[in-house]
Amino acid sequence: MSSLFPWRRPLEEDWGARVSEIEAAVVDGHMPDYATARAVANQQLGPREQLRVERLAKRMGKLEAIGFTRVELGLLGSRTLSYLRDPLGAAGLARGLVVSVHEAPYDRVASFAFSASNCFERRLDAVLAVLDEVSFQGSRPLLNRAAEDEAVHEAERLVSAIATAARSKTGCPAIIATLPPPYQLASAETATPGSSARFRLRVNMMLADGAAEGRWLIWDQAALAARVGLERWFDPIAYHSAKVPFSVQLCPLAADGVASLLAAMSGKSARALVLDLDNTLWGGVIGDDGIAGIRIGQNSAEGEAFVAFQDFLLGLRARGVVLAVCSKNTDAVAREPFRRHPEMVLKEDHIAVFQANWDDKATNLRAIAEALGLGLESLAFVDDNPAERERVRRELPLVSTIEVGEDPSFYIERVAQSGLFEHLPLNSDDLARASSYGGRAAVAEIRARVGNYEDYLKSLEMQMTIAPFDEVGRPRIVQLINKSNQFNLTTRRYNDEDVRRMQEDQGLFGWQVRLDDRFAQHGMIGVVIVRKEGTEWEIDTWLQSCRVLERGVEQSIMNSLFQEAYAAGVESIRGRYIPTERNGMVSEFYPRLGFDVVGKNGDGSMDFACAVPRYAPHPVFMNISLLR
Amino acid sequence: MSDREFYLSQVADVIRGLFDEYDGPITMETTARDVPQWDSLSHVRLMVLIEQELGVRFSTTEVQGFKNLGSLIDAVVKHKN
Repeated sequence: MSSLFPWRRPLEEDWGARVSEIEAAVVDGHMPDYATARAVANQQLGPREQLRVERLAKRMGKLEAIGFTRVELGLLGSRTLSYLRDPLGAAGLARGLVVSVHEAPYDRVASFAFSASNCFERRLDAVLAVLDEVSFQGSRPLLNRAAEDEAVHEAERLVSAIATAARSKTGCPAIIATLPPPYQLASAETATPGSSARFRLRVNMMLADGAAEGRWLIWDQAALAARVGLERWFDPIAYHSAKVPFSVQLCPLAADGVASLLAAMSGKSARALVLDLDNTLWGGVIGDDGIAGIRIGQNSAEGEAFVAFQDFLLGLRARGVVLAVCSKNTDAVAREPFRRHPEMVLKEDHIAVFQANWDDKATNLRAIAEALGLGLESLAFVDDNPAERERVRRELPLVSTIEVGEDPSFYIERVAQSGLFEHLPLNSDDLARASSYGGRAAVAEIRARVGNYEDYLKSLEMQMTIAPFDEVGRPRIVQLINKSNQFNLTTRRYNDEDVRRMQEDQGLFGWQVRLDDRFAQHGMIGVVIVRKEGTEWEIDTWLQSCRVLERGVEQSIMNSLFQEAYAAGVESIRGRYIPTERNGMVSEFYPRLGFDVVGKNGDGSMDFACAVPRYAPHPVFMNISLLR
Repeated sequence: MSDREFYLSQVADVIRGLFDEYDGPITMETTARDVPQWDSLSHVRLMVLIEQELGVRFSTTEVQGFKNLGSLIDAVVKHKN
């Protein structure tokens, strides 16, 4: 049987061993490494592997969700949604979420919507309501248009009440499932007022309109049912014997659809799509076949498929997804089709970052992420070559490498199915966000143009603001403390309460650091916590967002820190580097900033110190406001 | 090994996969009551897994009416022939 998840990587050979390792850690109460755990869930699982991942997800749900985003999801159904519970856990893991499911008791739709009772009794991040035709009251005699109008209005009142209740009782948006079509008697059913087929179409349109107005979100169950086929989606035996609204066998797929929506709500959708060139955007190898030899456009079936794929990519771009190129090619050769081939849909202007060289793809993907100011997790990658895909998966497990296969006719299907570009109803905020990406891409271009790095930094017109911890900043401070893995010297995690206490603690101070430049507001990009021990200060925590590397951020903060230390009569500042699997990039942090090694500890950590009078301020190219 | 025994061994595999806390015997006489995790909710899941694994499809009456694994195996044999 073919996999439910063809866009995921085929099951790894040593999958079982890898899962066993993670299971063992979880049983001992340790949250597994984010990328590793996500990767084992994000594969073409068969029924048995699926069960194991569901069980793993259930156990992980009881631990603190380090790395993963925790989502509390309420389920409200007019039939039983119990069979979604475990698959939702597994689907969440594959998308970087730890999903805790809270299921309303059977058939509480009306009481949740219209009465004061609250079957969830807690705050949630989303309530998913899967209603079917029986949830909607009102009789619809055939050919009575007015009665049908009234029934649709009635349905809207119910959905509206669910959305209001979700907001007021659980503090979250409602996600409403669209209705799959019924088995249809005749094509003319949709032209027959009062018929089930027509009613469901109208309800779906009503749901779509409400979602466009921001009244609720939709999970397009109807589209998913169409994709797999109604005969597979609807299982009449399970419906009658267990009140299951759709096939239990397909629950993992349904759960994945919901999880992609939750991921989009949590800001985890892919923001950039990185594309290989040869046999990904056109047929053949530009370096060998030349511009006249590659297959793109109406000269062949394959060429048509590539044009269709490029059209699809332009549609993604119109929705704010950044397109980038990563190809093993000579730059000028790789750009030629974009410039000169009349059948190319994509032009150079559409590509924000163009990395064509002979470096390996992992290196180039890192460069693209950096140029765009995005984390690796925001990148999706499409390459027809399975060996390249495998290599990128191994080296950059956070990048979503889509299993597009090798036949260009299926590229669109796989990219769409992946759900990586799931988005909420687009609004003007999204447009603003898209322009912020545009801004970052512009930075990359400037960087390429401005040969001198100093001039480049000056051209950014950066403004840094350093402020003490405060109430407003705390949620983001806590988030950074618990999420940052790479540019993090000590990886010490503190919760909201810890940070609140720090705000009042006279023995230490915390800094939140923000950065703007002429292209974008990056928001809070750094957190520093310093413990004051008499004439010596100890840097307890120093972490930065990886979105703004190589810009002199750490130099600027360190200059300010020594300035403060000098003013306070402090003699020296100490710091520690505690190595983890993820923070190798800062192993040389202290030496580079002028600190000397003063101790090596048994656990591999190292202590550094720098006497205040000996500190030589680093040249920096930004304005700094230090608020006290 | 007879067909019935062969199917039972396949079904036993599925049962142990789904009900990981159960390590008692699995025979033709086993019923849902013998396996603590086997409730009405997981029953549906089990039926689906057995259907997937053995390539059969039980009828509406069958999924609710199995007396014990023996009668389930009877249904499997019937669908296989």
